[in-house]
Amino acid sequence: MTTQAYFRPRSLAEALGLLDEHGPAMLVMAGGTLAMPLINKGVSRPEKVMGLRQAGLDYVRSVDGGVHIGAAAPLSRVRASSGVPLLAEAVKNVAGWAVQNMGTAGGNLFAPPPAGDLAVALLALDAQVKLASHRRGERLVPLAEFFTGFLTNCLAPDELVVEIQVPKPIGKTVLLKYGRLYTNTPAIVSVAVRLLARNGRVNDVRIALNAVGPHPFRARQAETTLRGAALHAEIFAAASSTAAAECEPFTDPIASADYRRRMVNVFVQRALAQAAA
Amino acid sequence: MASKIVTFTLNGHETEVLVKPLTTLAKALREKLGFTATKCGCYEGNCGSCTVIVNGEPVLSCILPVEEVEGQSVLTLEGITPSEGLHPLQQAFHENFAVQCGFCTPGMLMISKALLDKNPHPTQAEITDALSGNLCRCTGYDPIIAAVQQVAEGTNSNQGGTHE
Repeated sequence: MTTQAYFRPRSLAEALGLLDEHGPAMLVMAGGTLAMPLINKGVSRPEKVMGLRQAGLDYVRSVDGGVHIGAAAPLSRVRASSGVPLLAEAVKNVAGWAVQNMGTAGGNLFAPPPAGDLAVALLALDAQVKLASHRRGERLVPLAEFFTGFLTNCLAPDELVVEIQVPKPIGKTVLLKYGRLYTNTPAIVSVAVRLLARNGRVNDVRIALNAVGPHPFRARQAETTLRGAALHAEIFAAASSTAAAECEPFTDPIASADYRRRMVNVFVQRALAQAAA
Repeated sequence: MASKIVTFTLNGHETEVLVKPLTTLAKALREKLGFTATKCGCYEGNCGSCTVIVNGEPVLSCILPVEEVEGQSVLTLEGITPSEGLHPLQQAFHENFAVQCGFCTPGMLMISKALLDKNPHPTQAEITDALSGNLCRCTGYDPIIAAVQQVAEGTNSNQGGTHE
């Protein structure tokens, strides 16, 4: 253990001040479910660590039919009290009970695929993330623009993710996670769909995927295929193969890239059919 | 930063421990305080064997800095084991042969205790959901689920005992 200091700020202002003072040399941690394993194994040896549990960011607040989630809100709290079924379903599929008690909504955005399943639900719901810095104040970024690559994002070195804002869900939502077990399992593919139908046609649609690319993302070409189309199995099949073509799956001990791509086809189709039913 | 003293309630008793920054609760329990019922299997939050209960909620003590339990109430397997005999869950695990090598058992007992405290009569699906983060490589899980179910139904030979 090389860590010399563990800071536990009591407010967001204090946390931002500490980040400003110590810079990127200080590891920022919320629930610790990602950072502590690396520290325990000696992979990560941060000299300074800041824990956000006491920083007043653990709230889950209903706002105009949607929900604002503090970055350090435990996943179990999101599951129990967000009032948004798609979020509850996403958390239900994250690891086990104790990890849901420790892992946080904000922290989950930093999980490397195939982990980080909360983001598919958030992407399908058009969530925005509020980022804050000591010197430059706050800004809101659509979650779809937050991720920039494998373990990279648009967060500046002096910024923290402080809140996730989810607007009132419009349309029918479905989340499917496919893994090798029924529960507590890394994803082969995770898909979230939000479908708004009017007069038998697709008025608006979101398709979000994880575990089949460098970060959670929206299958925008597949979404375009669907917009305005009549609700029909054929168009769902076309959209699913578009999604399978636009994803960038990887091979890991759980599944091969090729298998993941095939499963994108299967599960996007299944999710669309359920959302249209 | 120098070591610091963390004060918390451990199994009902006020406890102090002097730790270096970021020392885990599991390490403090086992190596500083001598409470070795809590086991560390993977040190990365995958196996659940280090599960303890903090303020009624199960958490993984091997990835929890002990400073995070300052002023809070920690319950370990030592805290639910009576001075004589067994806790109803321990008795049920024994009767159902839900213990083979025993390494996962402390974690299994604590997560089961947390479940029954919140939901005294869980369905099998609720038991499976609650225990899904705890790995057992011996039993195949069925005897463990049966043991929890037995306590939930109050049918084990120790049913007169309390759940504390």
